[in-house]
Amino acid sequence: MIDPIEQGLARGWKVRGGPHGELPETLTCDVAIVGTGAGAGITAELLTAAGLDVVLVEEGPLRSSRDFRQSEAEAYPALYQESASRKTADKAIGILQGRCVGGSTTVNWTSSFRTPSATLAFWRERFALPEMSDDALAPWFQQVEQRLNIDPWLVAPNANNQLLRLGAARLGIPAAAIQRNVKGCWNLGSCGMGCPTNAKQSMLVTTLPVALDRGARLLVQARVEQLVIEGSAVRGLTVLPVQLNGAPASTRSTRISARHVVVAGGAINTPALLLRSKAPDPHGLLGRRTFLHPVVVSAATFDERIEGWSGAPQTLYTDHFLEVAPIDGAIGYKLEAPPLYPLIVASTLPGFGAQQSALLADFAKTHALLALLRDGFHAQSPGGSVKLRSDGSPLLDYPLNAFVLDGARRAFLSMAEIQFAAGAKQVLPVHEMAAPYRSWAEARAAIGQLPIQPLLTRVLSAHVMGGCAMAGSEDLGVVRPDGRHWQLDNLSIHDGSLFPTSIGANPQLSVYGLAAKLATLLARQLSGRDVRLAA
Amino acid sequence: MQRRRLLQVGTLTAALLGSAGAGLALLRPGVRDGRFTAEARLVFAAVAAAVLDGMLPRDTAPRAAALRAHLDRMDTTFAGLPPALQAEVGELATLLATAPTRLALTGLGAAWHEAPVADVQTMLQRLRLSSLALRQQVYHALRDLTNAAWFADPGAWPGIGYPGPLKVGTP
Repeated sequence: MIDPIEQGLARGWKVRGGPHGELPETLTCDVAIVGTGAGAGITAELLTAAGLDVVLVEEGPLRSSRDFRQSEAEAYPALYQESASRKTADKAIGILQGRCVGGSTTVNWTSSFRTPSATLAFWRERFALPEMSDDALAPWFQQVEQRLNIDPWLVAPNANNQLLRLGAARLGIPAAAIQRNVKGCWNLGSCGMGCPTNAKQSMLVTTLPVALDRGARLLVQARVEQLVIEGSAVRGLTVLPVQLNGAPASTRSTRISARHVVVAGGAINTPALLLRSKAPDPHGLLGRRTFLHPVVVSAATFDERIEGWSGAPQTLYTDHFLEVAPIDGAIGYKLEAPPLYPLIVASTLPGFGAQQSALLADFAKTHALLALLRDGFHAQSPGGSVKLRSDGSPLLDYPLNAFVLDGARRAFLSMAEIQFAAGAKQVLPVHEMAAPYRSWAEARAAIGQLPIQPLLTRVLSAHVMGGCAMAGSEDLGVVRPDGRHWQLDNLSIHDGSLFPTSIGANPQLSVYGLAAKLATLLARQLSGRDVRLAA
Repeated sequence: MQRRRLLQVGTLTAALLGSAGAGLALLRPGVRDGRFTAEARLVFAAVAAAVLDGMLPRDTAPRAAALRAHLDRMDTTFAGLPPALQAEVGELATLLATAPTRLALTGLGAAWHEAPVADVQTMLQRLRLSSLALRQQVYHALRDLTNAAWFADPGAWPGIGYPGPLKVGTP
């Protein structure tokens, strides 16, 4: 297996930090980019195409296909925020978010959706963003779809996904195929642990290598502690080397001076950096309205083997339950079929001792559906707020209120009905007081009575959005429609924290498309040159 | 307010020491030099016996070896956590390794290494369904740390029918 990162390093990529050598004391560049995920990668390719001198700073390590051994025990501490143990303040929501070169794109499950029309309409109407229309964004989506090989997935879905289609069809609910950003995918199913065959067109193997080949510099295992702000300008960044667990590796900091700074550390981390830096926030919006697509899970047992670990994850979906009510009505949800690996399943299914043994004895025959709740479109769905712990690390406070949890109950019902329609022997809503139910009638009655409360209901998230909302007027957002901060002239934000609401679909393509639009404009402003992504 | 009281370093210890009528001098550290102490290993061994009941080997010698390896993996898990989470888990280990605070937090009367598995399971179930968010958080922390360390080991996979990753050779 050819490892493009190993080859790039051998070609002389300028990488420092961790095992790649000490961070320099000072650096000067045209543009400093914080992060290396979806927004940062696209931005780096476009800015280097314009001939700009770019430095990227990543808190996590540089890992690549030779390290990706399909092992959860290796992947979670190395590639995920807080060792995949990131949680909201009251511990009621577990958050999976990448922290490595490539960010979440290195570990995501490849699901690619354009920003839904209804979401864009809401942004135009409520956040004064007339430019956020399907037609205006289409060329940007086309460009990144071509760049990242985002195409229909033509291989047969694995059994775990096929059951979603089967159960939904028997209820007259349409399910459709999910596009994926892969090239020559082996259909292994281990996307969440880093792609071992470099088929996934993550930032790690696409935009970042191009930027590094053009001379961009990359600092890894390096955390941006502060933006150095003077008046209405950002003068530079203060960076600290960190160990793999995020603890400081030394007190010797690096100072980066830059004409322009792009923050793309991902939602939660980006607003936290601005909070640590005491960035102006005249309207008290910074870190607010952070959304998660809170996820609830329903596990079903079948007579036959499902082997949910095998084959591409999340290849089918249904938006039926997003469309039954208006977008600003009762909270809707998208249904998908996730990959099932032992560690994540054992951590997600409820119970211990005999209950846990019995559930996991059927691991190979387990099918699971998840429901992503579309948060942020209703007054009673304000999302969460990013705060800082005493050590400066971010903590998201996201209270799960009755409005959101009402959606969780309806989602448990929808998933159980689909699973029984597909032939499930038993269905278990992932809740501490639920039992495996043997029929739809029994499940319907029981789910109606379950106390759907935080810490009793298992809630997860793999999509973190918002906290530095983009808006067409200063009192509605942190960032202007061109991605620049409303109060800090040479600071841009190019990541999922820009979204004024959740997306209502897996967000990677929304980040790519928006970052392509913003970075192309920024490249022109800083260099006078018109650029586009490699074809 | 109590429903959403958070597991925060310091405040929890102070509150529990107060309710247990005990002082700081009594505390038995749960973590030393980045590893769980002998006292904390007794806590997590008892929790493992309860959470992994039905999965741990039954015979004495293989069971002891499996628990030892499990506790070593817990040290590895702990080392991977960021400092803020290490502080929380360390505080939890300290409170559970210290008799008066163990009793105040969990209601478990017997010392960990003397408590029957069924008693530890009863205690876990009480925490799990407690009306106090704090006790529910403790339940999830204990269960999740235990499962994370146990299922990280390929040795645990045959027991749940997982064959391990597919081989990736040269295409």
